Amino acid sequence: MKPEYNVIGKSLPRTGSVDRLRGAPVFAADIQLENPLILKALRSAHDHAEVVAIDVSKALAIEGVVRIFTAADIPGKNLLGIINKDQPLLATDKVRSRSDAVALVAAETESAAHEALAAISVTYNPLPSVTDPFEALKTDAPKIHPKGNLLFSRKIRQGDAEAAFAGCASVIEKTYRTSMIEHNYLEPDAGAGFVDTDGTLVIYASTQNPHYDHKEVVTLLGLGDNQVRIIQAATGGGFGSKLDLNVQGFIGLALFHLKRPVRHVYTREEAYLATAKRHPLTLTVKTGADADGRLKAIKAHIVCDTGAYGSYGIAVASRSAVHVTGPYEIEHVDIESYCVYTNKPFCGAMRGFGAPQVAFAHESQIDLHARDLGMDPLDIRLKNCLRVGSKTGTGQVLTASVGIGECLEAVKPYYREALESGVSAPTHPFRRRGIGLGAMWYGIGNTGVQNPSTAGIEMDPEGHITLFTGCADIGQGSTTVLAQIAAETLGVQPAEIRMVVGDTKYTTNAGATSASRQTYISGNAVKDACQKLGDVLMTEAINRLHSPKDSLVFQDGHVVIKAGPENRPEDRIDFPCLAKRIHAKGVPLFWQGYFDPETIPLDPETGAGSPYATYAFACHLALLEVDTLTGQVTLEKLVAAHDVGQAIHPENVIGQICGGAAMGIGFALMEEFEPQKTVSMKDYHIPTCADVPTVIPIIVESAEPSGPYGAKGVGEPALIPTAPAIINAIARALGERIYHLPANLERVLAASISSGHFGPQEVTHG
Amino acid sequence: MDPKTVHIEFTLNGSPRSLEIPGAASALWVIRNLIGLKGAKEGCGIGECGACTIEVDGKAVNSCLMLAAQLDGADVLTVEGLASEDGLHPLQSSFLEHHGVQCGFCTPGLLMSTHALLKENPHPDHAQVSKAIAGNLCRCTGYRQIFASIEDAVKHNSGEAAQ
Repeated sequence: MKPEYNVIGKSLPRTGSVDRLRGAPVFAADIQLENPLILKALRSAHDHAEVVAIDVSKALAIEGVVRIFTAADIPGKNLLGIINKDQPLLATDKVRSRSDAVALVAAETESAAHEALAAISVTYNPLPSVTDPFEALKTDAPKIHPKGNLLFSRKIRQGDAEAAFAGCASVIEKTYRTSMIEHNYLEPDAGAGFVDTDGTLVIYASTQNPHYDHKEVVTLLGLGDNQVRIIQAATGGGFGSKLDLNVQGFIGLALFHLKRPVRHVYTREEAYLATAKRHPLTLTVKTGADADGRLKAIKAHIVCDTGAYGSYGIAVASRSAVHVTGPYEIEHVDIESYCVYTNKPFCGAMRGFGAPQVAFAHESQIDLHARDLGMDPLDIRLKNCLRVGSKTGTGQVLTASVGIGECLEAVKPYYREALESGVSAPTHPFRRRGIGLGAMWYGIGNTGVQNPSTAGIEMDPEGHITLFTGCADIGQGSTTVLAQIAAETLGVQPAEIRMVVGDTKYTTNAGATSASRQTYISGNAVKDACQKLGDVLMTEAINRLHSPKDSLVFQDGHVVIKAGPENRPEDRIDFPCLAKRIHAKGVPLFWQGYFDPETIPLDPETGAGSPYATYAFACHLALLEVDTLTGQVTLEKLVAAHDVGQAIHPENVIGQICGGAAMGIGFALMEEFEPQKTVSMKDYHIPTCADVPTVIPIIVESAEPSGPYGAKGVGEPALIPTAPAIINAIARALGERIYHLPANLERVLAASISSGHFGPQEVTHG
Repeated sequence: MDPKTVHIEFTLNGSPRSLEIPGAASALWVIRNLIGLKGAKEGCGIGECGACTIEVDGKAVNSCLMLAAQLDGADVLTVEGLASEDGLHPLQSSFLEHHGVQCGFCTPGLLMSTHALLKENPHPDHAQVSKAIAGNLCRCTGYRQIFASIEDAVKHNSGEAAQ
């Protein structure tokens, strides 16, 4: 039976929504500072070139230009990167992509700053460049970084895949390609800063990880921890790109030298040019199944193009390798994943870290096996899906909360209904309908590396509660969810808890808002802090209520004796009374919580290990219609079932599912970032409300024992199954499969022509 | 007077305004930088995303594409003009209740597009709402909770949602 909660599972109004609805100045670009300088970065004119000289004299002579910074002005270490440090804030000896910043202008006005950018003269010595990762791996390829173009590789080996293929009734090998994708959060990157009276550099930033920003800025400027303070401004979406240092380092550098307020707001064009993208992947996947449709072996070769810098590329290559088996039990595994530098804009984290790309492959493969063996696509998934006790490709045995079977069962009625209504029967001479499934699994948190979170809770002597968290809420609602977890643990209402969020002066590190980790990991850290405070309150209450601890519970800001026959005043004591007494005794009322998921690092040779403490699961169903003459795909319906462990805030979960599905539609059908061609929002289309069909979200709750109140995560899982479901539906409609995303008009039309559907078809009228 | 500046007079959120503005400035720039109202956002600067939507004489417009000089004599409403001292506008309350806000960057533009629609058509159907907000991009919500917010406001609209 499900436990009963007071505030867990309730969709309360989200923290911060009222300010946003009123149009209050909460975003970084809205912050008003006294007479701020405007910062603008000059970007590289080449894909790959030596920087011979930078002449700023003409630019400095322009009225209103205050200073132009180059790499020589950086007092600390000019090298950034959360996993591997390879990216200078300002170019030193060479540029490796057109995203690279060469100089930074500080000016009194926007127009002076723009004029200065045009007046800076950079002498380059162009170098041969390479934009294809397979070319970049050749021995004679231009060397982008001193250690070569292969940044990282991950191997996972278990059993004997080659031998197993020999015994398979169905063996399928295909190559899949995905495109570079732009995050396209609505708020272009922005920040502002000033020097506080005590000399601290204070930086407001649109960010997913204020504590990482802090560490990078401190190192960049050679300062002490207390000399820099990062405050997360309201952040208008991130989806992974605001995990890198975007404006923060530039603002810090200018503050360090000029001691004047500054602002740095990217235009949309600069956000496109200068920030991370989703890695394009090329995967060759070979899978084998026996005559019953049981998957036996997988061999996969994955190449992740990380562009000019690593950013989160290593995490993408690693997670891709782990996840390419899909949510299925496969005994024999032989996987290699490579992360390769090219002279393209750098690729970093984007919602899913490679999992959306590999899901396109594993979900296409399983449908191909179903067709090969004459099986139903839902049945073959149910036959192979992970269960409690299953062993994953890395040898991890799953012990609880494996909800993929429940997700598949949850979409089953919709699937059967669509099939029974004759979805595939041709009813129009130029249109074909299709139905498709996409399933996924997603490890919560970072891959086989430690990723702790911390939190603080304080009760003042009057009994007021304050929660301190470094967790960046970028719109997904973590502040609301963490308040709910604290409120549940202490028996109060979330509105009674004051929240201090994302300010490095007052909060401790909660790690990145990424990898769908904040509800699970920071949620647990908050719960841990609250339990410690709760224990102090309970201990004090024992003396007052003359009742053992296990008879006491928190209720409406009191400790009460539970299950008492009548609600007597002497059976309860309120928090202010307890806090005053605890404070008088000198016992702390501030407690710090901590949580780090239990993982085992992956073995470098075999990939064996337990990379994640828990996994989320999902299955999407897509119903669509293809216009065989134009290649136009019209979505009719999506059904999206997600195992989230426990929904702390169901409407937040639904918001993630539907938002993820929309992003998945873009990934499937329309989005492709082409360096130098994709310049402004005119060149890159994300789904509008007219592109998104009815989405039926289904929340599956297979409680995770190690999660806060059973919760896992949902942010990234929401996006992952959508594109595979759509691609499988197109394949079912046309009888021809697309292996290169996006399935845009041209690719769908080509599939329509090669499948023989281009031209009028006979129709049946039922 | 500087020949590059223009004098304009208009009504903003019910109050008269009289300003000298650079002739080439956009309405968005003037509202954000001269007047200091930060509700309207710049998401793209080229009229693609709708985050800068304001209402001019009852019509929703992309303020990044409109010259501020064109505001002369107009009745202008921005998101700051929706709520009253008594509280949120019914449309805003509906967005709050139905979780139509995630990051909130597109929210002011969406409110203004919807507000203009409801003025013209107090009871739009789904297709009419979709047409009215198709120019307002949202990357967070997938639009479902936005439709739910708007459709509930329409259901309860006895006219005040357009006031």
